[in-house]
Parts: sequence; C-alpha cells; structure tokens
Amino acid sequence: MSLGKEMGTQAGEKGGRMLSLSVDGKSVQVREGAFVLEAARAAGVEIPTLCHHPALEPYGGCRLCLVDVTRPEWGGWCKLVIACQFPAEEGLLVHTATERVVETRRVVLDLLLARCPETPLVQELARRHGIEQTSYVANPEPTDCILCALCTRVCDHLGISAIATVNRGIGREVAPPWGEAPPDCIGCLACAEICPTSCIPYETSEGSRTIWGKTFEMLRCTRCGRAHVTVAEADFFAGRGGVPRSYFELCDACKRKEMAATFVKLSRGAAGFSVGA
Amino acid sequence: MSAAHAADPKPLEAILGAYPAEEASLIQILQDVHRAYNYLPCDVLATVAKTLGVPLAKVYSVGTFYKAFSLQPQGRTIVKVCTGTACHIRGAAQLVDELQRKLGIKPGETTPDMGFTVKTVNCVGACAMAPVLIVGETYHGNAKAAKLDTYLAAGEADDAD
Repeated sequence: MSLGKEMGTQAGEKGGRMLSLSVDGKSVQVREGAFVLEAARAAGVEIPTLCHHPALEPYGGCRLCLVDVTRPEWGGWCKLVIACQFPAEEGLLVHTATERVVETRRVVLDLLLARCPETPLVQELARRHGIEQTSYVANPEPTDCILCALCTRVCDHLGISAIATVNRGIGREVAPPWGEAPPDCIGCLACAEICPTSCIPYETSEGSRTIWGKTFEMLRCTRCGRAHVTVAEADFFAGRGGVPRSYFELCDACKRKEMAATFVKLSRGAAGFSVGA
Repeated sequence: MSAAHAADPKPLEAILGAYPAEEASLIQILQDVHRAYNYLPCDVLATVAKTLGVPLAKVYSVGTFYKAFSLQPQGRTIVKVCTGTACHIRGAAQLVDELQRKLGIKPGETTPDMGFTVKTVNCVGACAMAPVLIVGETYHGNAKAAKLDTYLAAGEADDAD
C-alpha cells in the first residue's frame, strides 16, 4: 500500500529528478519513477517481454523480463526481480544476462512452451533461448493464449471492461461474464489487435462484425462505403465526449485523403507567398 | 445463465445498504450474497456491479476466482470432505464413496431436491483429527462412514432454519 503511494508520488513528479544507474555496465539516466525495463531499453539492452505494452500499466504477468539487481554496498548479494515492475533507483546495478537470469528465464519459457506448444511466437522465443521442445508434459489441449492479459487491460484502459480473466489456476482464461455475449463490448477489436499471439477470433463481413459471440452492426464510410467501425464503437466514443459523432462518418483512409486535399488547397492558396522561405 | 428463476431481491437490498457503494466493498458484498442465496445468482451479480459501479466482467472475475464462491445453485447443506494427505490416508475416499451411495451424488454435485451439495476440499488444517468431514458449519473429526446418517441429519437440522 505504502509502496504504491510512494510510486504514485514519484510518477506524479514527472520531469523531476533524473536517476543514474547501470545496466550491464552501461550507465544510463532515467526519470524518477521509471522502471528498470525502461532503463534497460534506454541503455540499448534487450530484455524479452510478452505482457509489456508501453501504453499500459506494467503487469508482471509473463516473468520473462527477469534481471538481477544489486548495489555496491550489498557485498556481492543480488536479487532476482522483474524489470517491468522494479522501480529504477539511483546507483542500482542491473545485470540482464547472468547465469541465474538466463537459467530462470529458460524455465519460464519452458513452462510457457508446455502451455502453448503450438504457438509460433512462443516457439520462436524458446528457440532463441535454446529450447526446441518443452521438458515438461506438453499441454494436451494446446492454446495460443499466454494469459498476458493485454486484452483485458486494454479493454479496461478504454473504460469498457467487457472481458476479464476468469477462474484460477489451470482453469484460468480470458472470457466475458458467463461465457456469453458481453453486454459492455463495443466490438472495437482492441483486444484482438493487441494480442501478441493473435488468438482472439473475430469476423468482419459485409456490414457486420462478430467477436466474443456478439454481433455488431457496422458503420459505413459515407464516402467510400467501407464498413470501418461498429455503430456501438462510434456511439460509445461520441457519447463519452472528446470526439463528435461526425468523426466516424469517414473511414481513416478517406480522412487522410481529405486532409491531403486540404493541404493541397492551402498550399495553392498560399502560392503567392513563398512557403518555407 | 439462469435468468429463468430470478432471485429474491429482498436480501440483496439489505446487503447493498450495509456497505458503501464502492469497489472496495465488492468481496464483502459477494460473501454476504453467498450466505443469503447459497450461491452467486447471475441477476444479483448484475445488480451488485451496477450499484458499485464496477464492470460486470470484474465482478464475474472475482466471483470465479475464489473457491468460496459458487455460481451454481447449491444444496441447503454443504458437505465437504477433506481429501488432504492425512485425511486421504485415513480414509477420506470411503467417506466420499459412502456419501455417493447415500445421496446418489458425486463430489461437486447437488441432490435433485437441493438438500445437499457434496464437495471435496484440500487440507482444512485439522490433520490431527483426520479424516475430517464438514457438514454445514460443523467440523467432524475422526469421521466414520458408518456415522454419516448422524452427521447429515444434524447438518440438515442446522440448515433448516
């Protein structure tokens, strides 16, 4: 509780103090309140992640971003933490490729591969860490869902919360309430698009879209006639304010064309003046 | 979804009135709902979600996370057989078999008259008195299959009111 508060105030003091730390011997500066992962990336050190997304709160679900952290005064003692949720500290020494880190990460990947033996993304990551096949019993019912919760978090972030993780332990999965068409879903596809393994099925056909067992009517672009968003999505975002309902009349491609046309017109109108001089 | 038999809204009103309408009250409310209805009815959860301003998906997520909550209607008396290591060794399986013979239901099932639900649970932390059988709120240590009738009758009487 107190930790959360502390971090909250740190994050609140953006643009404040800069912290210097070292990642694999490279010294790097990050703003106060940043996490170790951010510092590592700033230092150009690659750390694998599956559940991390820069637009969402760190979640700590995949455990792949493990690193060793230590301080000179700890006398050689170091601790294994996940980089995405460990706050950067002044003078912290981060090691991303110690034997312990590499071994532990391999165990995590081995387990992930046992859960998702047929998922190309997981296979590829495992292969890069020297695992061709899981040493555990492979899941007899292979799934592509790695339970990174990016889908549920992006849904929460948009203020919709139509889906959530349900059950616990081996029965845990992402699902709408009672496994039925979720009443709050607006068919925006944010969940399907953020999914790193593309395992959320949906179908967009002539004028309708189906996802999570719910079918949506599509709104057509008034210019090109392409069905580009669901009526529910347009209503939701227009109803919340920020954008007028008319924003959804044109599809993105037609909006860009219109914008380009406006620029052309403006530059011609301004032709009498020398632009750029 | 069992919207067919909508749950009595009376107990729910009292429960919702007893807690501040905020997300932090969710688990307390779900516990009270579970006590009042013996499970978490679908329409009740929808009302809880609306009252607290918590998304229904979150309420459902919490409701499915904890083993203490059931989303299926349960019998008036819950019979739990501990199948932890000590109880297992000291004959939990016989208790399960005998319950199945007497009530005609397997663990996780409910008798058709909604009298009993039988569950197996992992260690309840009373290994010294294994095997342990919990009928309603009463713990029976050194439970014997031969005494099941007595345990069940006592439990039924407790839960009748």
